[in-house]
Amino acid sequence: MNQTFDLSRWLRLVGAHWTENRKRYLLALLAMGGMLIAWYAFLLSIDKFGPLNLFLQYTAYYCGLYIIGCFYASTIFSQLGNKSQAIPYLAIPASHLEKLLCGILFGVVLFFLAYTCIFYIVDIPMVSMANKIIAREHQYWPKTMLPIGSVEVLNLWNNKWAPIPDKQYHLIFLGYFAIQSAFLLGSVYFVRWSFIKTIVAILLFWLVLVFFMIKGLSAHMPEGWHYDSMLDWTNFSGQQLNTRFIRLPALLEKLLLLSAQYCVAPAFWLITYFRLKEKEV
Amino acid sequence: MVSVKDLTFSYRRRSVFRGLDLQLHPGHIYGLLGRNGTGKSTLLRNIAGFLFPRNGTIDVMGFEPGRRQPAFLQQTFLLPEELYLPPVSVSRWIKNNAAFYPNFSMEQFRAYMTGFDIPAEGSMQELSYGQQKKLLISFALAVNTPLLLMDEPTNGLDILSKSQFRKVIAGAVDEKKCILISTHQVKDLENLIDRILVIEEGRILFNQDMETISKKLTFSLSFDPTATADALYCESSLKGNALVLPNTDGEDSRPDLEMLYKAIILEGEKINKLFNA
Repeated sequence: MNQTFDLSRWLRLVGAHWTENRKRYLLALLAMGGMLIAWYAFLLSIDKFGPLNLFLQYTAYYCGLYIIGCFYASTIFSQLGNKSQAIPYLAIPASHLEKLLCGILFGVVLFFLAYTCIFYIVDIPMVSMANKIIAREHQYWPKTMLPIGSVEVLNLWNNKWAPIPDKQYHLIFLGYFAIQSAFLLGSVYFVRWSFIKTIVAILLFWLVLVFFMIKGLSAHMPEGWHYDSMLDWTNFSGQQLNTRFIRLPALLEKLLLLSAQYCVAPAFWLITYFRLKEKEV
Repeated sequence: MVSVKDLTFSYRRRSVFRGLDLQLHPGHIYGLLGRNGTGKSTLLRNIAGFLFPRNGTIDVMGFEPGRRQPAFLQQTFLLPEELYLPPVSVSRWIKNNAAFYPNFSMEQFRAYMTGFDIPAEGSMQELSYGQQKKLLISFALAVNTPLLLMDEPTNGLDILSKSQFRKVIAGAVDEKKCILISTHQVKDLENLIDRILVIEEGRILFNQDMETISKKLTFSLSFDPTATADALYCESSLKGNALVLPNTDGEDSRPDLEMLYKAIILEGEKINKLFNA
């Protein structure tokens, strides 16, 4: 018997997790759908000109994803904070890797798919309703002859309303998985109030990073040099002709970007794995 | 089966064990006694792999418990003092959990459930605390792990259930199984355990089998001042003085676990001197 990963054992674990939590999950999905319907209904009631435009759909999708996804991730291993629940959980004859993968399956993969499905189940008919309202109430922007046009359904991967980092590198989309994985780690690391404590930890980390960028890096730059982004620096002496740029080599730049896009979440999962192994009850 | 060597364990600032040694063998039911806060539950959780030794080693059937490998978890079951049962039906919970234990016997489980008079259907949340405890005891016995650790298993059980508990435990042990029961309800273990372990001040203060105890000690009630003067431990009561005496006649007597426990805790030096002689 493999002591690290065994597919049939993992499937048993997944099955057990599903049967013990399905009612809670299904109710949570219904609640998510209900909240989105309520929010869209509110938007439709107050805006008769361009309701549910792509920007509103985009913000609704990502706000919900970040808030609910991170909150849910912070509960994935919450039983470890309670002795009466932690012992039966750790005593299940499955490896730490299998337990972590089960948490990732439900907290990351299935949650994302379920949330996205619920979003579109609500979004598509609501956008259709918004178009009917536009057609019925106002075809032109107020005091102009400019047509309002119909509202499109949000396309997650190719959205013209998305901020530039998301358009270019999908950083807001992929950043969700990175931040959510920090909450997953928080659910193992913090015994109580893991959601709040993880928010505080992320904010502290962010503060230290900003402080390092401003005080640490900038203070050590040669006279006249300052950084534009994490990847390039400029020397601007006031005359445009004398402006000089330094960029990291293209390969290094690409590697850093790829790391930011795809390595943060797996790194947090790895730390979560070791933290799970070290967990004492 | 279980070998604990030079175990040192502490919770942040509070030291619990300092150089504790213990050997447990199959075919026995051990009773682990000790005052509140002496580390009975901590010892069980160290053996089960939920706490890690700060120093020393624990070996359970060739496994290092702290690694919590599936093969180890399949062979060790800890019945914790605090219960948690998820909000599912009994049959669903059994189906979910039994699959992880290769030696689980549904037949045995049903027999224990019938013995304890618990409904095998319905939601587990509808069961009372005592019924939940009996359900977990039934499951703990039916998984047939070679090592079974029970932390205060009789808490919350009524008188008839305690008697049934003793009956099923006595019937469950065989030459391949080892059961370690931690309790402060000494009376509940009477006529059940065959070896007693007393833990005090971070070490095993007393570790003897019941046969040796009955050969070396007698337990009696007496108003006789001579007998009282010879007693290793004496406690006055309305029926006379309850005495723990050295067994000089060589007659086997039934040990009174409560008296024995008090004698060990309060007159440990005298008792150990007698057993080490």
